[in-house]
Amino acid sequence: MIDIRGLRLWFGNLQVLNGVELKIPKNTVFAMMGPSGSGKSTILRVINRLIELYPEAKVEGEVYLDGNDIFKMDVVELRRRVQMVFQIPNPIPNLSIFENVALGPKLNKLVKSKAELFQLVKESLEKAQLWDEVKDRLKTPAGKLSGGQQQRLCIARALAFNPEVVLMDEPTANLDPENTAKVEELIVDMKKERTVVVVTHYPPQAARISDYVAFLYKGTIVESGAVREVFTNPRHELTEKYVTGKVY
Amino acid sequence: MRKQLNTVGLALFAVLAFLAVLPLFHIIIDVYTKGISAIVELGGLSFLFDIPPTPYDNKGGVGPLLVGTLYMTFLGAVLGVLLGFPLGVYIGEFRKEFFANFSRGGVNILVEFPTITVGLFVYALFSISLVDINPMLEGISNALASVAGGWVKHFIGGLSQFNAYAGALALAIIMIPYVALFTASAYASIEQNTREAAYAIAGREYRAVFIVLRKAVSRAVLAAVLLGTAKIAGETAPLLFTAFGNVYYAPFTEATGAIPLWIWYAAQTPYEVQIASAYGAAAVLLTIVLAIFFAARLRQ
Repeated sequence: MIDIRGLRLWFGNLQVLNGVELKIPKNTVFAMMGPSGSGKSTILRVINRLIELYPEAKVEGEVYLDGNDIFKMDVVELRRRVQMVFQIPNPIPNLSIFENVALGPKLNKLVKSKAELFQLVKESLEKAQLWDEVKDRLKTPAGKLSGGQQQRLCIARALAFNPEVVLMDEPTANLDPENTAKVEELIVDMKKERTVVVVTHYPPQAARISDYVAFLYKGTIVESGAVREVFTNPRHELTEKYVTGKVY
Repeated sequence: MRKQLNTVGLALFAVLAFLAVLPLFHIIIDVYTKGISAIVELGGLSFLFDIPPTPYDNKGGVGPLLVGTLYMTFLGAVLGVLLGFPLGVYIGEFRKEFFANFSRGGVNILVEFPTITVGLFVYALFSISLVDINPMLEGISNALASVAGGWVKHFIGGLSQFNAYAGALALAIIMIPYVALFTASAYASIEQNTREAAYAIAGREYRAVFIVLRKAVSRAVLAAVLLGTAKIAGETAPLLFTAFGNVYYAPFTEATGAIPLWIWYAAQTPYEVQIASAYGAAAVLLTIVLAIFFAARLRQ
């Protein structure tokens, strides 16, 4: 369970989050939707503290992961438990397909032998539905894969940590319909073992894959709840306009 | 009319480009034609092992000079990378910090520094410190020699005023800004997207910066190291006050020969055999530099 309380965030003088309150239940797909610039991706970056890469960002508020304050947790432990998949597929340049998945577990000492590492990479690629496409060319540079394959490689890279939470920042924004369908299938499949928080600015996608949804507008949660409830019976006029395509 | 103007413009650029690279090809062709015939005349393959010719010899080589160049270049490159790489990471990855900006300014100045002043600096440094460090080095040398044998004294021992280590230090100081600036620009060019991925999978910052992101820019950094090595292999000025030069095989704790120093010396003599040996030495040096350069290009 992720519990966000009174989260406020500024980039310099610009306030981008205005007291966000969210409870994300375990083993669900939680979609955050809203127009560009509403603060969705920023919330993800707070949850795994990648926001600390931006020195100009000032954060106030509390975020708990299973009751533990993430700002007091060891960042290595946090990022092992909370992995992230980004909007633009970002395999590490110069590394092979195998190395891209293997590097994280190796650096974090999650495996004890080469055989165990190979098994972990294989399982992660299988879960990401990529193994059959790459098993004969694991040493090929990851950059040679297609965009859709690269994104599934990034999902495999995240799954290699066996994380409790996977944060996904518009993971299908740059994919064709076929690869989008594959990734959506993966997202739904992932919730059996973990919590998935997915950012999208495409309401139909949120409706297709998520159990819960939050609608953000200008750094504020306008409405959140079970997906069916929010889509069929929105409490707020702005939410209704957004899900029916009247606000972008 | 526009097409004709375009053709004339392009032809002009082609001529200018040709004029710019003309000296390069002239140097390469001149050094190799004269150098190879000199090598054949002075002993063929033994040119790589023999000591340089005196004015009264008709055979000779660049043996001690080649050893000195390879040894000092290797040490200088290792030290240059050990100091230059982390410095480059600092000024490239943490470029918003005040001291990173300050360091970048310093490195930019150092890269343009007259190399002879670097040699003078190291000369002064060794002049001041030899009295203090020599007893310690002699102690280490004796201790190691009693365990491993006398050959150790060729590498470690009390240092003369001129020695290979002073030369290597001067070369390292020249190499540091090259490696640092190339590394900094490689790190600065990493997309934020890749940086976030590195931090997400590495956990600790030092692992993200020195392991994951280093792998992302490894080709550019390796190319920087090779180009820097090629540059210091051909340096003469910083060795004048440091390695000084030597035509004999000698311990590295003494004055040490280097190919560029011999070219500089022999080309000024009136003796044809020594001038020929300078051409042969230049061909050997050019081969080393071009080999490193092409290795760097292949890596890019």
